[in-house]
Amino acid sequence: MLRKTLTAVVILLIVSVLSFGAVRIGITQIVDHPALNAVFDGIVKAIEDAGFKIGTDVLIDRQNAQGSVQNAAAIARKFASEKVDIVVAITTPSAQACVQVITDRPVVFSAVTDPVGAGLIKQMGRNDSNVVGVSDMVPVSTHLKLIKTVFPNAKRVGVLYNPGESNSVTLTNMAKAAAPSLGLTIVDMTGTNASEMVAAVNSVGPDVDVIYIGTDNTAAASMQAIGAAALRLKKPIVAADINIARQGGLIGFGFDYFQVGVETGKLVVEILKGKKPSELESHLIGPESLLLFINLDLMKELNVSIPQEIIDRANIIVQNGQEVKR
Amino acid sequence: MIAILEQGLLLALAAMGVYISFRLVDLPDLTPDGSYIVGGAVVAALLRSGHGWVSSVFLAALAASAAGFITALISTRFKIHTLLASIMVMTGLYSVAIRIMNSPNLPIPRFSTEKVLSYEQIVGKTPLDDILGGLENFQYEKEGVKAAIVPFNNKADGHDLFLIVLFVVAIGFLLWLFLRTELGTMLRGYGRNRFAVKVLGVNPNFFALMGLTVANFLVGLSGALFSMYSGFADVNMGAGMVVVCLASVILGEIIFGSREFAYGLFFPVVGAVVYQILLSLAMKYGYRIGFRPSDMKLLTAMFVVSVIAARRFKKSEVTV
Repeated sequence: MLRKTLTAVVILLIVSVLSFGAVRIGITQIVDHPALNAVFDGIVKAIEDAGFKIGTDVLIDRQNAQGSVQNAAAIARKFASEKVDIVVAITTPSAQACVQVITDRPVVFSAVTDPVGAGLIKQMGRNDSNVVGVSDMVPVSTHLKLIKTVFPNAKRVGVLYNPGESNSVTLTNMAKAAAPSLGLTIVDMTGTNASEMVAAVNSVGPDVDVIYIGTDNTAAASMQAIGAAALRLKKPIVAADINIARQGGLIGFGFDYFQVGVETGKLVVEILKGKKPSELESHLIGPESLLLFINLDLMKELNVSIPQEIIDRANIIVQNGQEVKR
Repeated sequence: MIAILEQGLLLALAAMGVYISFRLVDLPDLTPDGSYIVGGAVVAALLRSGHGWVSSVFLAALAASAAGFITALISTRFKIHTLLASIMVMTGLYSVAIRIMNSPNLPIPRFSTEKVLSYEQIVGKTPLDDILGGLENFQYEKEGVKAAIVPFNNKADGHDLFLIVLFVVAIGFLLWLFLRTELGTMLRGYGRNRFAVKVLGVNPNFFALMGLTVANFLVGLSGALFSMYSGFADVNMGAGMVVVCLASVILGEIIFGSREFAYGLFFPVVGAVVYQILLSLAMKYGYRIGFRPSDMKLLTAMFVVSVIAARRFKKSEVTV
């Protein structure tokens, strides 16, 4: 009898030692996409930088909804029913699915442009719930001011986006709210896939002075073709995402998605260290992470001039085919 | 496991719809990819404007059934194959859904949220403010979200499952009753032999209209319930719905063989649940044996084709 009890105690101890200490993090994203994968990498980097070892201290269960909203919901339910201690949801639909079903554990959202409008949190900043996260909203009116400063004669700004992406629709609405005070008119240039995007550039492009691209996933995926089409029309592209700008943009002012991941990872680390989501603040990517990208080669090719004080401020410059970081 | 059952049964309603169009009335119809979104979009829009969930769900399914009606109308009036007609309707519904929601994604939240502000209004300044000038008279404000009342509680206590089972059983029973009536019998007859119905003196087009309307009503119902269940409607949520439902129907047929329960309405229900179980197994263990997330669609497609091919070998009966 004593022996049996002892064996049971020992087994219990071993089991608890094996499972104790390791925190399980479930990470879900809607689709395989370079920017979203960069977010994941950033999260992992931040957790590792804080001194946690992936695999021993922290176990990561990475799930991908393969573009299906149904799968995103299935993953959320899976996390809810399994022993996952912290849930990280990248993108709006994945986060919406998780927030609905997981109420007893921390949910950290990432790369959601409009978490309030998406019904994830009541307000930006501190919230009295289990949900906290990082928004990838970009400073749209600053972008428009930048356009106005570089191209003082510009009147019509074409916003290229996919009307099926809620992030892009939010940013476009913001641009439409900000444009009148700057004397600009926003022209919709929409496409739901790569070929429609290029068609939009070719058909609407001639009527606009500058093309503006937000954090649109569809535009990001077809940026090479869009950049080429815009160059044929001699229209400059100003982008809110550095990686979009890299592939054919004249000016980019935004952040790396890796940085969005790092910021998200910092929130996860705080939770790992024992804080509650209600003690943390949901925030936007801070101004210190905003980078300015300028392609001087393209500037010459388009025959435009950018004020020197703006060029001086650039963090990344492309000159003679070389990317220079400052 | 409860969650898998719940999702499987929600899918079952759409699978029943696809079963009716593909099998019972034998009219291949791709409208569901669009009508599923319409169901979700209408229910989200109505719930947010304060309507009760019962009427919202009913109206959502009705809107989706209208999509099926239009497909059938185009097909019978202009003598276009239903496959082609339905692709057109499905494509158009993408835009219609965004119109209904006035946005590509509409949450059905549990709590009210405050106003949405822009980056500059929240953060206050950006690194270029000294060159470009700071905030001037720019104000962006979007209304927050109002809380909506939905029947699901999203807890794994069986409450949601009970509700969904109730739904599926009730709808299945109603359909079974309908298919037993004279009209229902003729509808099934239309699927077997178009000309036989004509001999009875009824316009066969009437049955095409009825079949696709009923089928898409079910699909819309499924979309509406799924939206309430998962808390949002998204314009991309219908993509690949027909293929998934077809896979469910075929799975059900394999499981039950040639035996028929309730005119086969039982197949898609069981098939959808099994499909959901297989999907979750693939999600859980697939990565360990080398799957990539992007392989899932290929696997589904290969599965449907191989099952159809296997059945062709067995007996030279024409399917799909």
